[in-house]
Amino acid sequence: MTGPVLSVRDLTARVSIDGETRTLIDAVSFDLCRGEILGLVGESGSGKSMICRALVKLLPSPAIAITGGSVLLGGRDLLALDEDVMRAVRGVEIGMIFQNPTSHLDPVMRIGDQIAEGIRYHQGFGRDQARLAAVDILGQVGFPHPERQFDSYPHELSGGMRQRAMIAIALSCNPKILIADEPTTALDVTIQAQILRLLLDLRDKRGLSIILITHDLGIVAQTCDSIAVLRNGQLLEKGPKRRVLAEPQHAYTASLLKSHPSMPEEGGVMAVTQVAPQMTARPLLEIDDLVVRFPTPGLGLFKKGKMNISAVNGVSLRIMPGETVGIVGESGSGKSTLARAILGLTPLTSGHISFEGSDLAQQRRLTLAKLRTEAAMVFQDPYNALNPRLTIGDMLAEVLAVQGNTSQVGISNRIGELLDLVELDRSFATRLPRSMSGGQCQRAGIARALAVNPKLIIADECVAALDVTIQSQIIELFRDLKVRMNLTLLFIAHDLAIVRNLCDRVVVMHRGEIVEEGRCNVVFANPRHAYTAALISAIPDIDPDKPLPQGDLPPRSESKTPRALRFRSLISTQ
Amino acid sequence: MTSAATATRVNVPWSRFLGRHMTWTIGAGILGLFLAVALAAPLIAPYDPIYQDAAVRLAMPSLDHPFGTDNFGRDILSRVIWGTRVDLQIAVIGVIFPFLIGTFIGTVAGFFGGFVDTVFMRLVDIVLAFPFLVLMLSIIAILGPGLSSFYIAMALVGWVSYARLIRAQMLVLKSSDYAVAAVSLGFGRARIMFRHLLPNAVAGSIVFSMSDAVLVLLNGAAISYLGLGVQPPLAEWGVMVAEGQSFITTAWWITLFPGLSIVVLAFGFSLLGDGLGEWLGVNE
Repeated sequence: MTGPVLSVRDLTARVSIDGETRTLIDAVSFDLCRGEILGLVGESGSGKSMICRALVKLLPSPAIAITGGSVLLGGRDLLALDEDVMRAVRGVEIGMIFQNPTSHLDPVMRIGDQIAEGIRYHQGFGRDQARLAAVDILGQVGFPHPERQFDSYPHELSGGMRQRAMIAIALSCNPKILIADEPTTALDVTIQAQILRLLLDLRDKRGLSIILITHDLGIVAQTCDSIAVLRNGQLLEKGPKRRVLAEPQHAYTASLLKSHPSMPEEGGVMAVTQVAPQMTARPLLEIDDLVVRFPTPGLGLFKKGKMNISAVNGVSLRIMPGETVGIVGESGSGKSTLARAILGLTPLTSGHISFEGSDLAQQRRLTLAKLRTEAAMVFQDPYNALNPRLTIGDMLAEVLAVQGNTSQVGISNRIGELLDLVELDRSFATRLPRSMSGGQCQRAGIARALAVNPKLIIADECVAALDVTIQSQIIELFRDLKVRMNLTLLFIAHDLAIVRNLCDRVVVMHRGEIVEEGRCNVVFANPRHAYTAALISAIPDIDPDKPLPQGDLPPRSESKTPRALRFRSLISTQ
Repeated sequence: MTSAATATRVNVPWSRFLGRHMTWTIGAGILGLFLAVALAAPLIAPYDPIYQDAAVRLAMPSLDHPFGTDNFGRDILSRVIWGTRVDLQIAVIGVIFPFLIGTFIGTVAGFFGGFVDTVFMRLVDIVLAFPFLVLMLSIIAILGPGLSSFYIAMALVGWVSYARLIRAQMLVLKSSDYAVAAVSLGFGRARIMFRHLLPNAVAGSIVFSMSDAVLVLLNGAAISYLGLGVQPPLAEWGVMVAEGQSFITTAWWITLFPGLSIVVLAFGFSLLGDGLGEWLGVNE
């Protein structure tokens, strides 16, 4: 490694809205060497994405201005360049990939053409030459049939393949530097591991320098050479990976490390031993050979029988009162469908679900009435789960009024109690969801679930959209509530580390079937099924010496259930 | 202008308010002005709008008759002022009923889907299959000319666009997590439909209703122009334009002033619609 490829000095950016000026990036300086992978770590709002956008002068709003500092790339100060020269820098010298490949790929353009476009524009290649180059790049980023897949449209590819296509576009002009903004956040753990390995390979082959933005310290620990920790636009700490992880100099870094779920916690082990479910009691929830199928979309004019997708295929499960069960699996494994089926939100194709002894398939009306008053759900996206036009107080009051167990007078007291339970200040009763942070919204969502006084709470990926420190707070809240209110918790997650910390028992789902089930400590220590083992080894561990898993995982099912389908029968099921 | 440093306290709130709500403020101003004129018509109109003065037929605009007079010697300014009442009424009533009917049907169709949706949407297709004006004219022809026939025809034909708008929104919203949450909490269908989903779906339609008001206004003028809406001698801008048509080369003022009023009022409605759109966050 010779001198730095990119050197950032005192980069400062400010935003001014309504006459107020806030500093988004506060005098950040760092160097990036050739072949180095630098991890920018921080929570949302820490300015990590902003820095990378400032580097290429693609600021998201005209209200934001770079007010000082310099960005030196090969001896030139990028901040002094005008827009025409800058356009040649973007793509040619600095490539970027983003979090959500779906929204950054043109849906009506073949992916090969999207790659070739950059090559033709920046390198002046002819059509055929560009095609050859694009096919070559597709092969390099791990497309198994680059020649054929050149002609695919983005919607024909899985999430991981789309991210590979994004990387291919970013690489199309041989950039020296690749900026990857949360490249794996939207992906499953196993796919995440593949993409990270691809980035490492590319670094080794091409001598790329990579800036990897992420909120997951596990990813940083396994892939990066050095780490920069950001908070509120300030660079708190920067250094070689091992030094930062082993002896963090800043208290904030230490707290980030501590909240990483892969760290063994005493609490997790305690929870297992403490709340031993009474195996003699009747199970709260019993699922027997459950099958849920959705018809495939399309007219099916020429097909006799309609094609069906099995989202849940022969699942049997017993959940005891007071138990905390984690359901893990990749996206498309049927875990969310299972949750919705349990709550009677989606029709059952066959099989039985019985809640407290009443059967959902046979005594539908009675069981639904029971479920509506004794079970509640917490959702993944905290903003989408709350009605944007109701204040938190109105929302809770409505639930209480509909449930009818609380007198008119008691409602406002009860709202206060609920807010206390989820550790929100009582003043939040008058706030609207859009004026709250994601963590606060999620707490409000939990308060809504608690308002029905449930025996069972189903949490569907309820921390996946939150920052790590907020995640650990919410997990802590669940652990606390579980003990205090004797809740039974069905916790659905793709993040195994969280399940390991919180749950007594874990159920691993793959393609609609349960592949493994057992006590958490047992399953995680000795996975019996190959798929479970693959999932576990794909968790990015905070230990830098643990390598990324090698070898490919069992091919995952490509059946994608369109979101709209999942709710097709939302109304008719009542 | 004062420098930014000294002017912050006084200038910022107003300039900021205007900067953000410029379209909204101007639109509301224009509509407010017309509303005031309509309410105060008996007080500010200089003449009786249907009084015919044979002595001043087809008089040029002058101090006595600022907008001139028509072929019957009626004062154009007074007629424009009194016409404001009729035209505002057309714009408001002609929008409200289609809005209410369309919103209700769209909500129900989108929420329930399936058979209900199919029935209502085929009905929409049937209405849309006829040219708008032809359908209006045939309904008015059956009911007999007059303003109330116009309102009925408007309600029967105009609801389809609202129904489609709301239905599309409902289809998206009913799969949102808060709708699922509401179902799982045991809320009734009517509650979910009208309290949780409709308020979130309706913003786009409110904005559309403002631009629709413009169309209804022009429609009303067109229907009156064809002699099927407002009947003479009642002052209405569309009728006035129609009556002035034969004198357009000799007495341009008969058509110009009512025509201008239509344009300005329509402009006010569309500005208000844009402003409302920003305010309700329709573009988000």
